[in-house]
Amino acid sequence: MKSVGWRALLVFAVLALVPLVPGMSRYYLLLAFDALLFGAIAMSLDLLMGYTGLVSFGHAAFYGLGAYATAIVMERGVLSIWVCVAFALLVVGLYALVVSYFATARRGIYFALLTLIFAEVVYTVFRYTQAFGGSDGIQGLPDATLLPGVAIDTPLRKYYLVLAYLAVAYVVCRVIVTSHFGRVLVAIRENEDRARFLGYNVQRYKMGACMVSALLTGLGGAIYPMRSAFATPDLMLWTESGEFIISVMIGGLGTLVGPVIGGAFFTILRDKVSSVVDWYFIVIGGVLIVIVLFMPRGLLGLRRLFARRTGGAAA
Amino acid sequence: MDYVLTVLLPQLLHGLVFGAALGLLALGLTVIFGLLGVMNFAHGELYMLGAYAGIVVIGVTHSFWVALIAAPILVGIVAAVTEVATLRPIYRREPLYGLILTFGLALVFREGARQIWGGDMRRILPPFTGSTPLLGMTYPNYRLFLLAASSVILLALWLFFTRTRAGIVVRAAVQDAEMLDGLGVDVRRVFTLTFAASGALAALAGLLLAPVFTVYPQMGVEMILLAFIVVILGGMGSMGGSVVAAFVIGVAQSLFSLWMNPQRVAIAIFGIMIVVLIVRPRGLFGREGVLE
Repeated sequence: MKSVGWRALLVFAVLALVPLVPGMSRYYLLLAFDALLFGAIAMSLDLLMGYTGLVSFGHAAFYGLGAYATAIVMERGVLSIWVCVAFALLVVGLYALVVSYFATARRGIYFALLTLIFAEVVYTVFRYTQAFGGSDGIQGLPDATLLPGVAIDTPLRKYYLVLAYLAVAYVVCRVIVTSHFGRVLVAIRENEDRARFLGYNVQRYKMGACMVSALLTGLGGAIYPMRSAFATPDLMLWTESGEFIISVMIGGLGTLVGPVIGGAFFTILRDKVSSVVDWYFIVIGGVLIVIVLFMPRGLLGLRRLFARRTGGAAA
Repeated sequence: MDYVLTVLLPQLLHGLVFGAALGLLALGLTVIFGLLGVMNFAHGELYMLGAYAGIVVIGVTHSFWVALIAAPILVGIVAAVTEVATLRPIYRREPLYGLILTFGLALVFREGARQIWGGDMRRILPPFTGSTPLLGMTYPNYRLFLLAASSVILLALWLFFTRTRAGIVVRAAVQDAEMLDGLGVDVRRVFTLTFAASGALAALAGLLLAPVFTVYPQMGVEMILLAFIVVILGGMGSMGGSVVAAFVIGVAQSLFSLWMNPQRVAIAIFGIMIVVLIVRPRGLFGREGVLE
């Protein structure tokens, strides 16, 4: 746990005090929920993109499957958050096991495309299965309960739910990154063949990273319907995966904290710009282009990453 | 026999027609991939812009034929400007950045089109109607024209790549751009012109398919995944492979839809793709080990 550090604790303490800010309305608390949720998912993706060098274009499927798992459980009248989360982790875990087994056998663009196409299969299945509500998804869910009788029904409680999720995701990612396992992942990113020659079972490490990243993303998906009261197939669309990647890039690849900031920035930007102008996708696309062109290391530009590299292993 | 003539044969032809247009789209994508190492996410949007540019030109000139020339040129210019302004500065960076950059470009183009032309579905009327008796069935004239035009263009491109110096330069750049640069060719110009040409081809495919499909800002998103699949199946960077794979996917999709509902067709195509990626990632004609 010492790897988490006092600065992280300080940040979480500040985040925990956010609801006390005067003028913190219901709207802002829910916006903060979305921002932190997106940030935590981007961080989970960063474990794969930034540290292992694998770009997943299929994270929306993990996210959406988690959301549907919760929605399906709640639709049947089981409101316990623990049951929802357990079921979501089971479903996402099984799917991720299949995807990561096949996808990690390939590198670079083939990994990206395999994850993308697997996710499209999941999207197509949910989009057209009437039992899951087709294109409308599952709507009008009740509030989940933490314990019998304790419902997560106010924006404040929902905010603390997402904060707890962010904390779990951060601790898991940080512990992994600073562990031996994490160092091997970086070694694989830097030179996969060399890591293999050193005797590491490269595919097993890549699968491990993929599973952790997928499960954390699925966990984020699992709590989303507890805020929005719905799960729709749009959550699984590949453009959603693109938005996760954008968040990682905005924040800074391979920094963990960066993608959290990137995801939050992206969510708030989308919300604010879309309330002012109708063409907010132009703004978001423009921001993305500017970041790639002028600040490729993101908001939290990190010196050590990609500084020496010119060749093409990451995509 | 009746089944063959009234169901199977028309469906097969539909597949060939669609495959030919898909070939135009995938060819540009695979050349750009070979050249820049970038899977161009904005390619579908250039396809979409082609259809809208066609609507604009038809609105001004009332001629589909003028549009067929003018729209690809307009989109080609847009593509060239885009390439110089955004892709040129990141030639030497990781392909990942190109991927993300083109994703951003796609967002901008798609939303731009929605702002300019609105989000509703539009149609372009085919320049001629009627149908021709063919092998015991009747087939719409416009679709026959679509098949012929796409095939002629693909043939012309094949001649361009094999018989002209410019075509050989582009192929050389796909093989080894650095070496070509060393031989005194202005590689940056080759990149820009090729990107413009691939955009023009996508636009042409968009306009040619517009009278068969509908025109709307999201139309590129629907096509780009299919085009990606074609490029992988054919083998990344293999031009001939892309064209063959485009026909295979076009016909497969068309025939599958005889027996399955559309979502099952989509899943079947994705399934084929997953198997190809796992078993033979270099596709039908790709060189072994390219970007693996």
